Amino acid sequence: MKLDTSGLESFPSLISHGSNVTGEISAPPSFELPNSNDFDGFLKEAIQMVKPAKGTTTLAFIFKEGVMVAADSRASMGGYISSQSVKKIIEINPYMLGTMAGGAADCQFWHRNLGIKCRLHELANKRRISVTGASKLLANILYSYRGMGLSVGTMIAGWDETGPGLYYVDSEGGRLKGTRFSVGSGSPYAYGVLDSGYKYDMSVEEASELARRAIYHATFRDGASGGVASVYYVGPTGWKKLSGDDVGELHYHYNPVTPSTVEQEMVEAAGP
Amino acid sequence: MECVFGLVGNDFAIVVADSSAVHSILVHKSNEDKIMFLDSHKLIAASGEPGDRVQFTEYVQKNVALYQFRNGIPLTTAAAANFTRGELATALRKNPYSVNILLAGYDKEIGPSLYYIDYIATLHKLEKGAFGYGSYFSLSMMDRHFHSGMSVEEAIDLVDKCINEIRLRLVVAPPNFVIKIVDKDGAREYAWRESVKDTPAPSAE
Amino acid sequence: MARYDRAITVFSPDGHLFQVEYALEAVRKGNAAVGVRGTDNVVLGVEKKSTAKLQDSRSVRKIVNLDDHIALACAGLKADARVLINRARVECQSHRLTVEDPCTVEYITRHIAGLQQKYTQSGAWKANATGRNSNSIREFLEKNFKETSGQETVKLAIRALLEVVESGGKNIEVAVMTKQHGLRQLEEAEIDAIVAEIEAEKAAAEAAKKAPPKDT
Repeated sequence: MKLDTSGLESFPSLISHGSNVTGEISAPPSFELPNSNDFDGFLKEAIQMVKPAKGTTTLAFIFKEGVMVAADSRASMGGYISSQSVKKIIEINPYMLGTMAGGAADCQFWHRNLGIKCRLHELANKRRISVTGASKLLANILYSYRGMGLSVGTMIAGWDETGPGLYYVDSEGGRLKGTRFSVGSGSPYAYGVLDSGYKYDMSVEEASELARRAIYHATFRDGASGGVASVYYVGPTGWKKLSGDDVGELHYHYNPVTPSTVEQEMVEAAGP
Repeated sequence: MECVFGLVGNDFAIVVADSSAVHSILVHKSNEDKIMFLDSHKLIAASGEPGDRVQFTEYVQKNVALYQFRNGIPLTTAAAANFTRGELATALRKNPYSVNILLAGYDKEIGPSLYYIDYIATLHKLEKGAFGYGSYFSLSMMDRHFHSGMSVEEAIDLVDKCINEIRLRLVVAPPNFVIKIVDKDGAREYAWRESVKDTPAPSAE
Repeated sequence: MARYDRAITVFSPDGHLFQVEYALEAVRKGNAAVGVRGTDNVVLGVEKKSTAKLQDSRSVRKIVNLDDHIALACAGLKADARVLINRARVECQSHRLTVEDPCTVEYITRHIAGLQQKYTQSGAWKANATGRNSNSIREFLEKNFKETSGQETVKLAIRALLEVVESGGKNIEVAVMTKQHGLRQLEEAEIDAIVAEIEAEKAAAEAAKKAPPKDT
């Protein structure tokens, strides 16, 4: 079912039809509604729409003590898992981290580029760049390449003179300031765990456990996410890697195997 | 989906915008302020692609500030609206910005005014206007209940009527809205209408 | 005779860039300008050339705002200054647009100096002067500078200017930058009042100097 509002529309909608899911200006304005007859088709398309940030789960949030950043470590090429040990949390400088979702090359290159620009800013201005400034630097670069095929969905997390900072930046030129973000195909799952468990007043231990759990649950449901759940913490003295746990081991940690009673025992055949 | 609307009352103008930052099926943020202060007596509410929206409104804001430093006097609301339209028009044939704008301001001699500027650089001076899916509901609502010279109470009442109608009838209704006002005392935030509260954190307002 | 002063990129045999030195000379001949830093404010003062009778004296400002929190006083060619001021104002807004922070005084100083191809007057000064007779003003400031605040800083700046400028609000332009109020240009009457105060103090000091020998 589809509601065509092209006659009424003065502005092209973001959710448009079929292959043109990212909503180009040329697309006919339309309005996709969930259809009970073909709900699977709708769901498939909805999942396709998260594609720009494919095969990944990353998250970051601000809490009382600073910023917690976490990610999985799987790289996939279609159905093939090409690596289980990708570093998706990129260290920009001792006080700033970036997360990687989308094209690995694009993310790595532009984060490295951002690192250079941040250092140059530091040398020219005799003070570290703010998280606000760094994220805007990246957003402006990505915005200038908009529509040319870059695929980047990232969070810039760090600590500056104003305290903890967290921004979401993507290759469509979007840049959002916030307290809680998750990016990637597993992000809806991660959000579920994150939103229900989030409090501002958390200790570093509580926060890291929440981040780890959110990544674990996302890797459990999202086939394109997996490997190791690494957790970083950014505090007043810079970032620190807290943990990196294999999500397979985490699964048995969170769901311990309990010896169940055997329903039926095979009876030893009676001997002669 | 995006809802931006505004109206002119007796000696003031009000603009309202939803505060959702949506990416496909995900709501990344529900307290994103889409109404920016252009200067002390001007508000610019924008809807459109997130990148374009922020880039364009900030660009306009900085140019308005630069004008004030160069000339010692601020732009009138009409001048700011025409400047904004002009920038959209020049960009239109090169790399168009997908942004729709409601610009509200207050000038000493003229009083309050509201300008409607869409992404293809159409400029209208209006008493009430709206953009986005919310416009289907808020426009008729304002056509029915608006009258010139409304008091702030009446106007806010109408704004709340519009917000409630959007929440009632629009499938993909945004949960939260921000309301800003501009009058002789300047532009300022009036209120938030939030049905979903994002966990507040002191560091990120 | 070879002309070494035509192009700005041609050195004379003894290592001078004449056009640059001519420019410096123009600044030395220009109006005096002084800046004094207090504990809670910064005061800029410049000497005003007498304006034509029909001209509005407020229309020839030599102290201008670059941003809400940054002001500039200039000596030398007003036309050149205008170009620099314009470029600096654009840079201030551009900085806000790209880094979302107002730029620092040092940053914009360096930017202007970059435009001037020269970065000699950088660094934080407690007080400094440029323009006509700037040496005598600097000498005065070296002798009389104290960490002052509020109106005292304004007074020091005006006293410094009066070393080389004829007294009276007609000949001086003063602006005060504070954290709370940003840049505020003083009215002529205000300046006159301060000048009168300074002159009274000077006269009193003079009298005191003369008086004691009489007693002994």
